[in-house]
Amino acid sequence: MSFGRPPSVNVGFKTTPPDRGSFPLDHYGECSKQMKEYMECLKKNSSTSTPCRTFNKQYLECRMSKGLMERDEWYKLGLGDVEDAASAKARVPSQSTST
Amino acid sequence: MSSSIVGSLTRGCRTPSVNINPHPFFRCRTSLYHGIGKPPSWLHSRTQLWRTIGTSSSKHTPPSSASVSARRPTAIPSYNASREQMYKTRNRNLLMYTSAVVILGVGITYAAVPLYRMFCSATGFAGTPSVVSTSSGRFDPSRLTPDTDARRIRVHFNADRAEALPWKFFPQQKYVEVLPGESSLAFYKARNESKKDIIGIATYNVTPDRVAPYFSKVECFCFEEQKLLAGEEVDMPLLFFIDKDILDDPSCRGVNDVVLSYTFFKARRNAQGHLEPDAEEDVVQRSLGFEGYEHSPRAETKKVEGSKANS
Repeated sequence: MSFGRPPSVNVGFKTTPPDRGSFPLDHYGECSKQMKEYMECLKKNSSTSTPCRTFNKQYLECRMSKGLMERDEWYKLGLGDVEDAASAKARVPSQSTST
Repeated sequence: MSSSIVGSLTRGCRTPSVNINPHPFFRCRTSLYHGIGKPPSWLHSRTQLWRTIGTSSSKHTPPSSASVSARRPTAIPSYNASREQMYKTRNRNLLMYTSAVVILGVGITYAAVPLYRMFCSATGFAGTPSVVSTSSGRFDPSRLTPDTDARRIRVHFNADRAEALPWKFFPQQKYVEVLPGESSLAFYKARNESKKDIIGIATYNVTPDRVAPYFSKVECFCFEEQKLLAGEEVDMPLLFFIDKDILDDPSCRGVNDVVLSYTFFKARRNAQGHLEPDAEEDVVQRSLGFEGYEHSPRAETKKVEGSKANS
């Protein structure tokens, strides 16, 4: 948009680009397993995102390790307080999802 | 003309009746005539002047009145010179001050543009985004901590595609309930059902409009080309969050449902070689949520219409 124009009602309509750009396409389905785990968790928890943050982190971890996402600190992605999947599984073995 | 100059110099003073080359020292010596009124004759007053000067300064011997009248009135070179000197210094000072003001004005005009930009970026005036670093401002880590006491907002997902694009594009979850500040993951799936490799480009839109400034995407699959090979199916993730400031916005108080809508278009290269959606402008703008707004025609279409009109 033009720089310095007076603010108007439409100022809030700007479609801002995403902070980190675009996810590279997972052509080979390398992280489909983590994705399925996340989707199952969502179904179980009536689509509430908070309980599934561990799987969220797992999926992004998979992407980063396979080179499908730039590696970054967890706290910068808002997942700094989410405990790792391994420790969560060890703590509550009954809640582990099917692999 | 000299008479006008003299006239200006004698402004505010009583001008003598005969204005032929008055003595320069006449000019504003009103103090001498104060209360006396118009001098009877400039000759008489001049002799008076000479007497007073004669007593104070012993540089020059006052000549007789007759010789004074016969001569041009430049007989007091020291006063003349000092007056010239005074005017010279005054003029030089005035020139210096004026040129300094002019240079300062020009300098401020040049400096105004970067100064305004600095001011805007520091205060965020007129919607200037703060770009201190890539991970600060809107996507600062502090913005990405969930507010556990807030209400949950349900984000619905919608997927559209252009008719020209032979893909199957749909969201993998109908909705997700998120807390403000919580970064959440969502998935879409796309399948290329044709026999050719096709490049697609997606646009997105958030409804209602007042939520749009608070809806931030960390990473998605929009606005960049996505190439799908023939028959390929791929999962497209999306990492987003709703900024915590939405809780402070009074107009968003009743907002509990948000619809995020993606539209996939076939991509084509425009005149500059950039990828853009292969659809009519109004269709693209509708997918961005700008339907019903007047848009000025693009430069390319303007030129085409102009050449068509000419031919």
